[in-house]
Amino acid sequence: MIASPSLARARSLRPNRTLRERATTLGIGAAVLGLLGWAWHDTGASIPQLVDGIGNTYRLIVRALPPNWSVLGNAVHGSILTFDTAFLGTAAALVFSLLLTPLAARNIAPHRVVYEVARVVIGVLRAVPEFVFALIFLVAVGISPYSIVLAIGAHTIGVLGKLFAEAVEDMDMGPVDALRASGAGRIQVFVHAILPAIAATFTGLALYRLDTNVRSALYLGAFGGGGLGFQLFNSMELFQYKSATTQLLVLLVLLLIVERASLLLRQRIL
Amino acid sequence: MLKGVDLDVWPGELCVVLGANGSGKSTMLRCAIRLIEPDEGSVELCGRQLVGARGRDLREARRKAAMVFQQVLLVRRRSAIENVAYGALGELPLSRSISSRLFPDEVAARAHESLARVGLPDVAYKRADQLSGGQAQRVAIARALCQRAEVVLADEPVASLDPRAAEDVLVLLGEIARVEGLAVLTVLHQPDLAFSYADRIVGIKSGEIVFDAPPTALERDQVNALYDGEVR
Repeated sequence: MIASPSLARARSLRPNRTLRERATTLGIGAAVLGLLGWAWHDTGASIPQLVDGIGNTYRLIVRALPPNWSVLGNAVHGSILTFDTAFLGTAAALVFSLLLTPLAARNIAPHRVVYEVARVVIGVLRAVPEFVFALIFLVAVGISPYSIVLAIGAHTIGVLGKLFAEAVEDMDMGPVDALRASGAGRIQVFVHAILPAIAATFTGLALYRLDTNVRSALYLGAFGGGGLGFQLFNSMELFQYKSATTQLLVLLVLLLIVERASLLLRQRIL
Repeated sequence: MLKGVDLDVWPGELCVVLGANGSGKSTMLRCAIRLIEPDEGSVELCGRQLVGARGRDLREARRKAAMVFQQVLLVRRRSAIENVAYGALGELPLSRSISSRLFPDEVAARAHESLARVGLPDVAYKRADQLSGGQAQRVAIARALCQRAEVVLADEPVASLDPRAAEDVLVLLGEIARVEGLAVLTVLHQPDLAFSYADRIVGIKSGEIVFDAPPTALERDQVNALYDGEVR
């Protein structure tokens, strides 16, 4: 049996599109393709170079083995410094973002203006990358791990401040109303009704951020802030590939330990 | 929307408010403690004017009233006894209340007494989120007792409870009215429970009071009429 024309149309899952709609789709497609072509040209991407690169990488690996274990002690030391940088920066950011949270959460902010100002502060700190903060603080306090601590701290205040404020905005306001209704003051309500409800979420977010910040401390260290990132960068610059291998192995262990520890702690809390 | 609602509740009395969804019952309770701002009119709580009160005055006035809500509004990650003691927050200075470890012994003793009063001395150190619905609602009433409130405002306190637990809670509300001498104003959705436990029933329809009488002076038809037709 042959279906009637109207039934055939009824089987189509999409309405017929107008010429204008087709042209728009075509235009967007062409624009994306054009942008891809330009990006390919602009970055000097090339398939033959990639093939050559495989050979170079192989020669690099051969020259990088076996690892130079004499730098192991230094590398471990450097990895501890890198962790310390991230830890101190995250801890400082935790304190300041906790202070900002009651001002930046719409449902508990004392005043609309305070809320807007707090949101702008958080927005700016979050929008400026750690990299830019690092450049600023390298000039401000000199080349030292401390400048990296400040850079990580400043950016993390923005990140945690936003996440914390959103967690508070999503929380169940019932207990807050109940304590307010019984005559409790603003700080009492924050300490007894809001903090217990969000403490676990906050700890989880801060631990996750610590994990991320260890990675940031690595690459920011390469600017001269010191630590494992700096050592690795120097080894590559000086063609000491065997030392770089040792440092990479230590780096891998550091990242694995931090990630596992942060994961285990978060699972225990949440 | 409330229109010219004029309601007095006296100590020692369990007053039940009935009305359809959206008739203004909850709004009235929330206005009474100024969680919602009334457009005009006055709210007087134990001789204190609440409309226009600010900051310290408002908190002082609110201490006289306690709310027991439809969903149980306990701090879930804290123990039952801590939740009861939170009733005393309004009377404590910040230096003694920033952590529950700093609460005065007198408050702790009062919290334990209040919890015993609602028949739950055994759950003191259980976390609030491990209590049953009926237990949690009784802990909320214990919080009101610990607050030494003079008025208890309850918004559908038995809405999510099974019939047995609902009766327990209403018996308890009746007792704290008659024995402890508090004024209890509660919104209910079950006319049967209102007829069994109330000293007075107030019917609200479209934001206006249509009757206000003891259950013995009321006909079931009058109550049923609350839920007929356009209610808003």
